[in-house]
Amino acid sequence: MSDSPRQIKANPLWGFLGKTAAYIVMGVFAFMTIYPIIWLCINSFKTTPDYMLDKVGLPPTWVLANYVGAWTIGSFDKLIGNSILYTLAGAAGIIFFSVLAGFGFAKIRSRATAPIYGTFVIGILLSITSLMVPIFLEISQIDRLLGDLVQNLGWGKTTDFHLFYNTQFGMILIYIGSGLPIAVYLCTEYIKSIPDSLVEAARIDGAGYFRIFWRIVLPMAAPIATTVAIITVPNIWNEFALINIVVSDNNLKSLPLGIMRFNGTMSTDYGKQFAALVIGLAPMLIFYIAFRKQITNGVAGGAVKG
Amino acid sequence: MEVVVALTLRNNAEKRRAYWSFVTPAFFLYLLVFAFPIVISILLSLSDYNGGKMFGGTPWSIIGFQQYSKLFVDPSFWLALKNNVYIVLISVFGQLPLGFILAYIIYRKIVKWGEGWQAVLYVPAIISVIVLGIMWKLVFASNGLIADIENHLLATSFSNGLGSILAGAGGFHITDGVVQQILKISDPQVIASFANPVQDLKDLILGGGYDAGHLDVFKTEMTNLLAPKWSPDFMSKQDVAMIPIMFVTLWCWTGMYLILFLANMQKIDSQIIEAARIDGANELQVMSRVIIPSLSGVLANAAILCIAGSLNTFALIWAMTAGGPMNITQVLAIYMYQNAFIGAPNFPLANAISMAIVVFSLLLIALTMYVEKKFGGKEE
Amino acid sequence: MKKLAFVVGLLALIIAGATAQDKVPVKFLYYADATQAGYAEDMANWDKFKAANPGIDLQMEILVNQPYHQKLSAYISAGQIPDIMTVWPTTRDSSALLQGQKLLKDLKKVLPADLLSKFSASALDVKQQTSGQISELPQSFTYTTTVYANAGLLKSLGLKVPTNYAELKALVPKLKVKGIQTLLLPDADKWPAQSCLFSTISGRLLGDEFIDAVKAHKAKFTDKSFVGALAFYQQLYTDGVIDKADVNLGYGDGPGIFASGKAALFVDGDWRVGAYLTDKSTGKALIDPAAQKDFELVNFPAIPGEKNKNSASAIAGVGLGINKDLTGAKLEAAKKVLEFYYSKETMTMKWETGAFVPARTDLSSTKLEPLAVKLPAYYKTVVKTTYVLDGALDPSVFNILNDGLQAIGLGVKTPADVAAEMQKAQDALK
Repeated sequence: MSDSPRQIKANPLWGFLGKTAAYIVMGVFAFMTIYPIIWLCINSFKTTPDYMLDKVGLPPTWVLANYVGAWTIGSFDKLIGNSILYTLAGAAGIIFFSVLAGFGFAKIRSRATAPIYGTFVIGILLSITSLMVPIFLEISQIDRLLGDLVQNLGWGKTTDFHLFYNTQFGMILIYIGSGLPIAVYLCTEYIKSIPDSLVEAARIDGAGYFRIFWRIVLPMAAPIATTVAIITVPNIWNEFALINIVVSDNNLKSLPLGIMRFNGTMSTDYGKQFAALVIGLAPMLIFYIAFRKQITNGVAGGAVKG
Repeated sequence: MEVVVALTLRNNAEKRRAYWSFVTPAFFLYLLVFAFPIVISILLSLSDYNGGKMFGGTPWSIIGFQQYSKLFVDPSFWLALKNNVYIVLISVFGQLPLGFILAYIIYRKIVKWGEGWQAVLYVPAIISVIVLGIMWKLVFASNGLIADIENHLLATSFSNGLGSILAGAGGFHITDGVVQQILKISDPQVIASFANPVQDLKDLILGGGYDAGHLDVFKTEMTNLLAPKWSPDFMSKQDVAMIPIMFVTLWCWTGMYLILFLANMQKIDSQIIEAARIDGANELQVMSRVIIPSLSGVLANAAILCIAGSLNTFALIWAMTAGGPMNITQVLAIYMYQNAFIGAPNFPLANAISMAIVVFSLLLIALTMYVEKKFGGKEE
Repeated sequence: MKKLAFVVGLLALIIAGATAQDKVPVKFLYYADATQAGYAEDMANWDKFKAANPGIDLQMEILVNQPYHQKLSAYISAGQIPDIMTVWPTTRDSSALLQGQKLLKDLKKVLPADLLSKFSASALDVKQQTSGQISELPQSFTYTTTVYANAGLLKSLGLKVPTNYAELKALVPKLKVKGIQTLLLPDADKWPAQSCLFSTISGRLLGDEFIDAVKAHKAKFTDKSFVGALAFYQQLYTDGVIDKADVNLGYGDGPGIFASGKAALFVDGDWRVGAYLTDKSTGKALIDPAAQKDFELVNFPAIPGEKNKNSASAIAGVGLGINKDLTGAKLEAAKKVLEFYYSKETMTMKWETGAFVPARTDLSSTKLEPLAVKLPAYYKTVVKTTYVLDGALDPSVFNILNDGLQAIGLGVKTPADVAAEMQKAQDALK
């Protein structure tokens, strides 16, 4: 009998304490989150001298000069476009390839799975910091080899050929590659929980594997894809160490690099730095707030299993 | 019979094709980014490379595990490792349970506006670490928020104490006894800077042009001079200095796990939960008997991600304290960074540290998976 | 499908990359701090160069701080050192290899003699650079110890700028009652205490001969003289001259505290002047030009027992260096870039925007703010310059000194302990 379920009340006192505790914890965390953002926004309208004299109060005069200065000096118009490109292309690439590989690992038996999948898992443990210089070495060598190849094949005379270093293409590939370990791990684990029967049934109906992937697995993987997106998008958006190494052309740089420009050694022009930080934070916040419903729905959409 | 065999063969071939065409792109990209660098990293950690051109410059060679044995006896390494362990502990036993409990509370609608809380609690993970670093310094620095509040309190209490001393002496009568009483409530450091405290302070007061008519000026100035100052001493003590950092780490990442757990909780068939509630289970029992077992795989996953993330944590701590003061909040990743990029680079040592991080991660993950196998429930 | 896309992409990029280049490409890795005074003028200046030199394709990569050093490290390891880059005279981060392994040209042999002759002798001193040659032409000669004194504030309290330690110490209680710090030294970043104060203390009490002797294994840090120098540093804290709380104060917080009158004296390098001058983009200055006359720049007061009176620690500033392997058209182009940078016009512009005081001696300007004018006057009062310890010592040693000074300030280590640790590290160097 499945009419409306009756709620049996738990011990009211415990419930009340629990609720209060929860509200307190969340409230404190929320305050710790919101206050800095508000503080940052307010102080981005202070001139640096005003900030140095009073860090906490309201600006004696509200100025826009910080934003103007930061935007022009940092050439943020170019940078935002690049950041969007890297983030979207990177995230899309990561999701696509990791669900694809996850499908392969999870649903198709092969002896190669253990070692290959294991390699991915090890990748989760590595930090990019230690690998920065070798990555640079690697791509500059690859580019040199390719450049020699091109010259030998007579396809053109280039003194400065690069396919990976200092190109958007190369940067996107590297972002995808570096985000794959976690994504592949999560996707594989998730896809394992999709019933084999679904796949078998489709096979019996004569569907090819790619079709199964495209029509069945990929849509069903929406929740984990969303999770991967949630992890990946901010990671790429805020990333600066790797892109600093791989890119030197100012036209290809991303937003975090522009912000880092204002993080000086000897002195800090706080005003412009704050303006730059707000410019960097705003798109992320907007994205997150605007797509909040989609994110929670996308996540909840996987609630009903076939 | 032959048809079946033929079909199976075709099937297998197709399977293999599919498998490889699905797995290869990801694998290729992954190797592109990581393979060569990992190999180089391992090689460097075993070498005597001293900077300069890596290929084609002065030749360097593999000299064995010297760097690792150096690490073994390096106190900085063990300190960094200890700090990392703190981070791992707060992450695995802080972020995960807290994220889980909050996710559960939101899922079971025990608090209102779950959607909003979810969003707000996740935001720290997307704020750039530069902002977090600035806020940190603002709050904890010796001229920061906490210091301001504390010093204000100390100053007020000193001022009141001074007032009662004077009242006890019957007004502005400065005798040795009064001076001694004042010294009792004063900052010991200031006292130490006087060669002859009682005499010097007495001379200071008498020579300072103070009088009974301007007691508030007297009080203010004495407070400035003598009131104990709060200093963030805890920031300079090993271990204790890690506590605020642990707190910020907790705040920063709990939201991500909250979302992860919530997402997976929503996959659970709500009928089961209702059935359990009808059978008389309270929330605690629902959580432990129904939810946790279904999510044990996810929990293990999250623990693995958590461990990997916390052993590699760099940017947040670097932005807050840069490992200081005096390197007491240093973690392995910062120690590695210092050896790779600060001062003359010592790549062999840096890469040895990085390999050490991998080894520890593997150990901890193996431990986690063992625990999961033993205590984990069945997933559907 | 994916293979096809890959090949198409490859072809497209090859075609794109195959454009011929007529101009001489010069890779320039430039260290420029967007938060420093004069950044915008600096960039505009480089645009002028590019416009005036259409035959040179100046590919500038502008970085600062960590990203700069990391990138240069990567370049060096890959053997792709830029054509021109910003270099430190000693083993500071990425320059450690550039200087240590002599990867740059000797500018004495590259730049025209008449340009070099315009630079001060101390800037051209090869002993200032680890490589023993002019690997970079110092754009300035930096005095790392400058005491900024709020003379107006002191006067209003009936006090004056101290000239010896006794006077300095006497100021402490008188200022403290008013809630004013005596000497401000923010040391959260570790290096200021060593670079901006202790180096001068060491220079005054011990002189450069001592440091040379230690490096030659003829003296030790554990000798009484050096421990005594550390002890004097400690005394500054126990006497209340420097506030213990400042050990945890961020470097960027200093100017604000000083400018708002919460500290009477502030010790930092001469580069800090820029923090107080007018920011052209907002028109605001931390210390209003009209108020700048009430501030003075002086040397650290006389220390009891000092050998060298009125000395201050100083070191050659940063400058541009040229890749050792450049030849032909690229080398000529690089020379042009350097000649432009070190020209009268550019150096004067840097001076006027408060970026630094150039080492070029033939400049004059009427556009300087009062505080900036006081710098050369201060330099003249310095009788002798001494080592800056992070330029003279090995990183493994001065890092211990940096940490040690923090520990001494907080009272958790004694001078003897720190000296012993330093000596241990020094002994490990052979």
